[in-house]
Amino acid sequence: MFNIEKAIPMMGMGGGGGGGGGGGGTCYVYPDAPATPGLVTADVTYNRTAHMNGSMTMDDGTTVEMWGFSDGGGGGMGGGPFPSPAMRVTEGQVVHTVLTAGSMMQGTHTIHHHGIEPSTENDGVGHYSFDVNGTYTYQWKASHAGTYFYHCHTNTVLHAEMGMYGGLIIDPPEGPGTLHSGGPTYDVEAIWACDEIDSSWHNKNWNAGTCGGDEGFNSLNPDYFIITGVDGAQSALTNPGVAVTMNRGQKLLVRYICAGYLPQRINFGGLTATIHVSDGRVLPNPVQVTEIEASSAERYDCIFEPTEAGVYEVTCDFLDWVTGDVVGTARTRINVN
Amino acid sequence: MYFKGFSTDTNSLTVPGAQLIAQEGDTVRVTIVNTLGTSHSFKIDGVVDSGSIAGGQTKTVEFTVNNAGSYLYYDGLNAPYNRLVGLHGALAVMPSGSSNELYAGSPTFVQQYSWVINDIDPAWHDRIRRRRTPNTPFTPSYFTINGRSMRVPGHPDYGNPDIDSGYALDTRLEGSIGDRTLVRILNAGGCMHSVHFHANHVEWLARNGQPRADVWKKDTVLLPNNIGSLDVIYPFEVPPDSWPQAPTGMYPMHFHDEMTQTAGGGLYQFGIATTIAFK
Repeated sequence: MFNIEKAIPMMGMGGGGGGGGGGGGTCYVYPDAPATPGLVTADVTYNRTAHMNGSMTMDDGTTVEMWGFSDGGGGGMGGGPFPSPAMRVTEGQVVHTVLTAGSMMQGTHTIHHHGIEPSTENDGVGHYSFDVNGTYTYQWKASHAGTYFYHCHTNTVLHAEMGMYGGLIIDPPEGPGTLHSGGPTYDVEAIWACDEIDSSWHNKNWNAGTCGGDEGFNSLNPDYFIITGVDGAQSALTNPGVAVTMNRGQKLLVRYICAGYLPQRINFGGLTATIHVSDGRVLPNPVQVTEIEASSAERYDCIFEPTEAGVYEVTCDFLDWVTGDVVGTARTRINVN
Repeated sequence: MYFKGFSTDTNSLTVPGAQLIAQEGDTVRVTIVNTLGTSHSFKIDGVVDSGSIAGGQTKTVEFTVNNAGSYLYYDGLNAPYNRLVGLHGALAVMPSGSSNELYAGSPTFVQQYSWVINDIDPAWHDRIRRRRTPNTPFTPSYFTINGRSMRVPGHPDYGNPDIDSGYALDTRLEGSIGDRTLVRILNAGGCMHSVHFHANHVEWLARNGQPRADVWKKDTVLLPNNIGSLDVIYPFEVPPDSWPQAPTGMYPMHFHDEMTQTAGGGLYQFGIATTIAFK
């Protein structure tokens, strides 16, 4: 079995595919692809192949390089998806996430299912287990309904910023349409993963900084603000994958994921949210709010029951981590007919 | 890099200062010997303020701690610079007659830790060393937990409890199943942070010293800056999604605003993190 005390870091790979890397010498990356301990037959299996050839075109016409995971066969000629395809499982299921990654050019990667709490080998943290160089099957069992997300945990400061994440939802046994067993039902659902992008980081090698050297990773200065892979400057106001259209009398579930690094304050444009679940755990008492201040990687599951028709503009402010000043805003809408 | 600190003797530099623990109703006496050439103070918000102690002077303050909870003691002069440059430490006040609660009636624990967080901007420390006021935006490039940061396998200091926050006795969480652990997280630094625990959700008891009406189970919690605080219990339960069930293992606690996971602008993993060891 894997033993952290005996872990052997990758040696002398400074630079890898060129650029990045810094001073050479030891790179603190731990390539391996062991067998999964205690492997059983899964109830549901997701195949994910790391890619580094995605992109996102912003409302101002700029194209920014993005990385991520594709469903099976790699990024392909057209470039891999951003964000990575969501996973959706049911409470009680044994899940396999089969990750294929690893080469000198493409680097090693992991999948950490954020909020999911499996064994060390299946937690996807490189320096406690391994960075996948080949294929590894992460095995875990979904214990609590709610909203999670999965992301790469190799050189995380860079790889998560580059977009290596996707949504992860655990439904209760009742299935989609119920937030948690005994909890509220919903008719309309949205996943808002709010993230900020510092495009100056998006031209680096996969192992930038892991051998030392100043890559500027201590200071994030974002220039784009997005919601679930859509630019929040304009596009997210109308993009049907982000903006919500619903009728009075319907119940909306917003699964809000603070997917960036900076603190966020999301305001629901005059609508009241009832938070029932946060971080995949049912609150002892639901709370009603008009806005939420969140920090990196928190999730809040919010039910809306609007009674008046209208267009409600949702604003997600991204806050400077020192001053609290708003450094950018992503916008979308809830259209109530 | 230049630091100042509250040390327990005049021959060493300790950052953060020694962890203090008292019980509600206790009278606490602290003697500050200012060995430096600049004025300093000893302050706990809402509890005590020594006022300015000139260079070379000594002052004893005596105060009563009336409210259980987690506090940061710090130098309130030349704010925030004296605090940021290292003059800070943790004070835990236990409820009267209790050894296993954060406040009377709180969920209980069997062991407790205090983590003091700091963000270090070398340019600011250098200006303070030269008795100048920092004149650049606060841009920290080192991030510490109880004055240390993480090392990883392959690094010569990996496993050295004097250097590696993954092994330091006052940061590393060790327990067996059921060893419920109170963690008092005090932010001496200038940045808001996101505290993320692997393998278990924590029970979130308080923020900024205010007990929460409902205890939420969270895997990630916002830590306010400039003397913000969190009190959480890490329950040391079998990781609930492990299959087969895994009662032993090692996991990180790390901050999720990933800039904090770097040192000098790179070296991911060498920042604010520690190890959670299920024994």
